Amino acid sequence: MCEAPKLLYLAIMARTKTNASLLVSQEIKQGRRLTYRVTACGAGAAVLAILQAWFAASMLAIILHHGTSSLPLAAVLFAIAALARAGLMRAEAHMAFNLGIAARRRLRNHSLNALLAIGPAGVRGTHSADLAGIVVDRVEAFDGLHARWIPAVSMAVIGPALGIIAGFIADPLAGVILAIAALLVPVGMAFAGIGAGIASQRQFTAMSRLQTRFIDRIRGISTIILAGRSNDEAASLAQAADELRVRTMRVIRVAFVSSTMLDLAAAGALIAIAIRFAAPLRNHLAATPLALFCLLLVPIIFAPLRGFAAVYQDRMTAQAAAERLADLPAAERLADLPTARAGREALRAPQADIRTVSASGLGIAFEQVCFRWSDGGPLVLDHLSFRVPAGEMLLLLGPSGVGKSSIIDLLLGFARPTSGRVTINGADIASIVPASLARMTSWIGQHPMIFAGSVADNIRFARPEAPDAEWQEAARLARVTDFAGSLPVGFDTMLGEGGYGLSGGQVQRIAIARAFLKDSPLLLLDEPTAHLDPATEREVLDSLRRLAVGRTVILATHSAIAHEFARESGVKKLDLGALKHERLRTAV
Amino acid sequence: MTSLLTILSLWRRRAFWLILAILIALAALAAALALQFQAARYVSAATLGSLLIVPASLQIIGASRVVLRYLERLVGHDATFRALADLRVWFFRRLARSSAGGLGFRRAGDVLARLVGDVEALDGLFLRIIIPAIGTVLLLPVLMIVVSRDSLPAAMLVLVLFLVVGLILPWRAARMSRAEAKAGAAAMGSLRVAALDTLTGLREVRLFGAEGRMLANIQARESALFNAQRSLASKSAWLQSAAFLAAQAAILVIILLGPASPLAAVAALFVSIAAFEFAGAMPAAGILAGQASASADRVLDAAQARPAVSDPTQPARLPASHALTFDHVSFRWRNAGPLVLDQLDLQIPQGSRIAVLGPSGAGKSTLAALLLKLASPESGQIRLGGVDIATLTAVDLRSRIAYLSQTTHIFADTVANNLRLTNESASDDALWTALEAAQLADFVRSLPVGLNSWLDEGAGNISGGQARRLALARTFLSPAPILILDEPGAGLDGATEAALLETLNHVPTNRTILLITHRLMGVEKLDRIWRLANGHLVSATG
Repeated sequence: MCEAPKLLYLAIMARTKTNASLLVSQEIKQGRRLTYRVTACGAGAAVLAILQAWFAASMLAIILHHGTSSLPLAAVLFAIAALARAGLMRAEAHMAFNLGIAARRRLRNHSLNALLAIGPAGVRGTHSADLAGIVVDRVEAFDGLHARWIPAVSMAVIGPALGIIAGFIADPLAGVILAIAALLVPVGMAFAGIGAGIASQRQFTAMSRLQTRFIDRIRGISTIILAGRSNDEAASLAQAADELRVRTMRVIRVAFVSSTMLDLAAAGALIAIAIRFAAPLRNHLAATPLALFCLLLVPIIFAPLRGFAAVYQDRMTAQAAAERLADLPAAERLADLPTARAGREALRAPQADIRTVSASGLGIAFEQVCFRWSDGGPLVLDHLSFRVPAGEMLLLLGPSGVGKSSIIDLLLGFARPTSGRVTINGADIASIVPASLARMTSWIGQHPMIFAGSVADNIRFARPEAPDAEWQEAARLARVTDFAGSLPVGFDTMLGEGGYGLSGGQVQRIAIARAFLKDSPLLLLDEPTAHLDPATEREVLDSLRRLAVGRTVILATHSAIAHEFARESGVKKLDLGALKHERLRTAV
Repeated sequence: MTSLLTILSLWRRRAFWLILAILIALAALAAALALQFQAARYVSAATLGSLLIVPASLQIIGASRVVLRYLERLVGHDATFRALADLRVWFFRRLARSSAGGLGFRRAGDVLARLVGDVEALDGLFLRIIIPAIGTVLLLPVLMIVVSRDSLPAAMLVLVLFLVVGLILPWRAARMSRAEAKAGAAAMGSLRVAALDTLTGLREVRLFGAEGRMLANIQARESALFNAQRSLASKSAWLQSAAFLAAQAAILVIILLGPASPLAAVAALFVSIAAFEFAGAMPAAGILAGQASASADRVLDAAQARPAVSDPTQPARLPASHALTFDHVSFRWRNAGPLVLDQLDLQIPQGSRIAVLGPSGAGKSTLAALLLKLASPESGQIRLGGVDIATLTAVDLRSRIAYLSQTTHIFADTVANNLRLTNESASDDALWTALEAAQLADFVRSLPVGLNSWLDEGAGNISGGQARRLALARTFLSPAPILILDEPGAGLDGATEAALLETLNHVPTNRTILLITHRLMGVEKLDRIWRLANGHLVSATG
């Protein structure tokens, strides 16, 4: 038992790392398939650069020897090649940018769909700001990988190769010099990379902790201020930053050797080619353009390699962002979640079993239902059976944590029973198309969501295509109209992030208006008045009473007034707390 | 741009390292030019049949170029790290003093995280803006001397082209990117709101079959973001093309206008290729500078915001008693906003246990904000032991109050360091006592290294309930006699919340407890229960 948290912790750490690396390598594989057009433009630009070098070399040779070839012709060709190269470079940048957009669009779509698929029960306990961070920021971090890193990898091979081939054609010996110089770069990089790898492995944990320290302390700054420790924390932040510098420099000292290899190879190539042509040039003036051409090839060969080194951080950024993104259940891994199993099996079930249920009058039943939130977790519902005939109301009682919300989530299809059946008009809920299940259910909880938009938008959320008369009627029935007049611009008042703040009772009435507009036969109410003051609670219950007419209703509550309200309606009760107590007594 | 200068002035202390880094970078640049110059001279001299320089000098320059580049990177990064550490510590100190520090009180962690992004956007200031700019300025006379030896008209034209690449284009880039950065940030904010809306309202979205609508909304905002980014990318691509073509034009100018002295022409050509390559980084530096200056503005704004409640000039002494009194306190968060507290009266005797209930948004947390001097009342008085807290310093006042909120942060640090935040000198025994009281001791004992176990960012490696218990243990550990617990069970399931509140019953009776919550679980032992509605307190049961 004591070992469990340890093992869990290690397992989580191990899984996160693998998933992140897996995701990044998948992305690279996928990105490579799409990058050929960008690479083609890059290769075209490299060929033009080589041609430019040749024209420039010819022009210089003409100047040096007052040659017979036409200087203006070479100049015009040089200029044309320059313009074409500028065009190709723009096209390359444009297409690379689009690759980044396409990848982000795809990843964002995928992560949103995954979150919508696992639903509210699947993301229990995760703050929605964290989820939004995954969908917004972590997806953005993949831009560099697709738009810059993947194309740069291809160009780091193709660019130097083209330059070396040109060198060979001009002068085989110079070609060999250039090839050796270019090959020294990856060899040197590998050595330095291995060294840096070893160095950074030793430093990794300490460095990543120090790196996140600043953002972590800023996020928690009010906790620090209120504890009166801001000066101490500033001092230890400075100390941590200095330690990070020392450790980072230790890694960088080795890592920069690879850039130095690049400089060394470039300088070596320049000098070797200068020396290579020194002797022949004295005797053969015809070799002049060749010599100058080979000298001009050196920067052309090394530029893509420098470009590659410059975008390396783009890959690291994506790798860091991948950790949370990879943790989102992919389609395959959705199977691991008890809550998602329902959706999958519904999809997998034979066509004949998928059904919709007649929408007039719904009876629901729980048959020997057992339920737990997670595989190892405690049993929340234990062989629970009950039945609610069409048009009747059931009151769910019992203290918090006894399983009222679980019953509602089972009926909404967000969770599925560990064993037993939940049926609607006799049909197993797992066999009902999720969209159809959603159509026949209305739900009002403790804190209904108010979306960014106007009051009218928030009511119409239930049915955007509804004619004005219908949502206005719903607003009247839910008594939204009563308070809408006192808002700054009535139904057009903007709510949500940065908008006007409504009181708890007003929010509930908007939720009730939504339910009126949706007009579904099954109504699930999960503590809809839990945090309202008694007067408001009565008003909200009054609206709910009107909403409940002619529908099958389940009301989960521990509010005394709500009990009263239910008693007047003469309903059945299911006291889960007493049930649990009963079972315990029989067990003893 | 003035904010960038203010940021730079923070780095005076690091002047030695920064100047050293600049000098080495310039030496490396000089070596690069010399290498090009000598290689060109050597080859062209050879073609004319005379050897001017021995290859040895070429090798020396080549070798020193490589070594200088390595040193440039090393010293440049070292200097940058020192400067950035200063910037971060300065920002933390200023933020702690400014009103923005209280942001975290109102769940604005993401606002703070965006500010951190702005601080990080200043990382490239030295290496990617200042060094290229200084290098470009110093290159100008060198280039002029080398080219004018060849031909004066060529030198004039090259001067113009170099000014275009090194000055005019970067200047336009900076102005353009500053404007575009605003549009981009707005588009990003709009996407974030749409995503947050969908994910917060996941339940409603699923139930109303709104998945398609919400996805379409997010995608529309995403496209708007991409359009903003595309506009920036396309404008920067034009600037880059212009810089590239200017460099190519310089090559043609030197070749076509300088045939008088072939040797000088070849040398001038090779030097100007290297010079334009270096200055070619300037348009990109300009774009970065535009973005950095927008970031610097926001960083300075946050750091220099006046604190919401300033300390009295002549602070009173802390009273011995810690009874709390609200006397006709009125308060609103915004000037024209609704009255959150309206002539509110409340007595919290020393050692009593009080609960204030009320729906979210009723102003319960406002009580805590006022007690902690994160805000001050519009009218009325709050007294600690009979002394108006307006006459006490915030630090003194807060030494009497241990505050646990929904947003209390668990730091990426060890369990022990997280606990000692409220009591630096607490012994391990005291930590264990606090953990026992919060019923977390068994769990911590089960961890491989116990109190020294590392907690991930946002307490990612422990459960929500455990994180709340840890925060509670930290509050217990504080020597402060008053505990304010603001929704201690928020985000927990009912059973966990009840168990958590039950632990409050074991707190020694000489400590005052103010429990702020939207519901009671029925396990709490309390002296008084108040309900907050319409800015007034009404007695509830108990």
